[in-house]
Amino acid sequence: MLNAIRWAVFALAAFAMNFPLIVTLVTSFKSAREISTNPGLWINAPTLENYATVLTVSDRLNIFLYLTNSFAVAAMGTLLAVALALPAAYAIVRGRFGEKTLLPLIVNLRAVPLVIFAIPIYMMFQFMGLLDTRLGLGLVMTIVNIPLVLIILVNAISDVPFELDEAAMIDGVSRTGILFKIVGPVCRPALVTSMIFGFITAWNEFLFGLMLTTSKAVPVTVGASFFFAASGGGVQWGVAAAVMMVGALPPMLLGLVMYRKISGTMMAGAVKG
Amino acid sequence: METTHRLEWTLLATPLMAFLLVCLGFPAIVNLIYSVSDISFETLRSPEISGLGNFAAVLTDSGFWRANWFSLRFGLLTAILECLIGLGLAVFLAPLFKDRSWPIAILMLPLMVAPALMGLMYRLVLHEFAGPVPHYLWAWFGNSPAFLGPNSAFWTLIVVETLQWTPFAFLLFHMAYQAIPEELREAASIDGATGFARFWRIELPLMLPTLAAALLIRFIDGFRVFDNVYVLTGSGAGGSTTSLSIYIYEAFFKQAAIGKAVAASVILFAVSFAVLYGLNRLARRRRR
Repeated sequence: MLNAIRWAVFALAAFAMNFPLIVTLVTSFKSAREISTNPGLWINAPTLENYATVLTVSDRLNIFLYLTNSFAVAAMGTLLAVALALPAAYAIVRGRFGEKTLLPLIVNLRAVPLVIFAIPIYMMFQFMGLLDTRLGLGLVMTIVNIPLVLIILVNAISDVPFELDEAAMIDGVSRTGILFKIVGPVCRPALVTSMIFGFITAWNEFLFGLMLTTSKAVPVTVGASFFFAASGGGVQWGVAAAVMMVGALPPMLLGLVMYRKISGTMMAGAVKG
Repeated sequence: METTHRLEWTLLATPLMAFLLVCLGFPAIVNLIYSVSDISFETLRSPEISGLGNFAAVLTDSGFWRANWFSLRFGLLTAILECLIGLGLAVFLAPLFKDRSWPIAILMLPLMVAPALMGLMYRLVLHEFAGPVPHYLWAWFGNSPAFLGPNSAFWTLIVVETLQWTPFAFLLFHMAYQAIPEELREAASIDGATGFARFWRIELPLMLPTLAAALLIRFIDGFRVFDNVYVLTGSGAGGSTTSLSIYIYEAFFKQAAIGKAVAASVILFAVSFAVLYGLNRLARRRRR
């Protein structure tokens, strides 16, 4: 009996939290005519025309460009963050380098509202010609990702038995060699987790995409709103719903594949933070 | 350790330090210089130091204080609501997750969605003609409020933020709850503490550190909110939903008031640094 109540509570919570996703998914399969007569949660005549419209490239709207931008920026922001953080994490754990200064500083960075750096970064990018480029936005995503990636990797390397290092050192392997040949491979699960986490975070970022891009490097979180004003008249809600589904799908799929790891990572981030 | 090793470690950490120095250190200095300069888009490269006028302009701007007030209320309310609901769900539903984890996947789905897209989705959900919520409210009750009007926008945004981020708090509490040793629960049951008493006396105290961390993280994220508020109401709704992040963004991009925007950034920077420093000291003292 109590379990039946639990299931009911679970169903209610799941429904409420996922409600916008359900509504958007349902609306994306309705024709414009059906939306105006039937805004409810039921579809009378399912259609794919909204997705066809979204996937049609026009001179003003190009969903493939936004998706490619998001992908490139998220991939760069993730890989660069890991490449910078891995050796630093190794130095922090094994060499106790900057354990009292560098590590807390970067960990705290996670809690600083990044908008305070937005204006100087905008000016710097303007000066360096990085405005509206994937490279520029990718650099910003690297900054955004570094704190959590560093925390994950520091935790992971702390769990690697020191005997592995010692054995390799006796064999004459250099520090860098140990990092790339031994510690790195042992930490592969943590590397994968941090990359997926970083990718989702960067894909979902909005503020810097809005500030630093205008046309060429627009990510999908920003580009999605372009479809709202597409036709001059009112919003075409079917098309808008379809573009939101397309933009939200990649991180959702990644999250579903990885959800067991993600809760553990959040815990690690919270405890250290 | 010997100096040669020290050098090796430094070299390994150098790329990260150099990157942060260029990408954050330099902007921080630019912030400081511009905040005390007379600056416009024409004089970006030759700022003229002019004293604390920008800070005075920000501190006497009622909009700045209103934005602070909004961010503070928004951060506190959403953090408390998310943690209460998340804790309740994690504890009450715990038996459901014993042998299966798919319900957790369903609950955490909203976390994967970009807050900006989530905000846009709510524009559809709450739309007076195309949205299901007003549709059903009209059909069932013959009335539907203006969710994003000046009077209800604040509470609508609270609900939007809470529904998306409660799963985050839930996940933390779920992990903490699972980490409580089973023997402890059994011992408590033998001593006669069951149900609510067991939760209140045994489980909750053990989860207090998690509760503190969750409250802090959610408060920070709520305080600096931008994405979903910006796409839902912008600074609209009579300016009643301008968060501090939106205030800085608008001062810069909409009003071209660079000095003001930068001064507000520096104030926010100083405050968050002071708060974090204090919290870190507190945490260190408690650990001892």
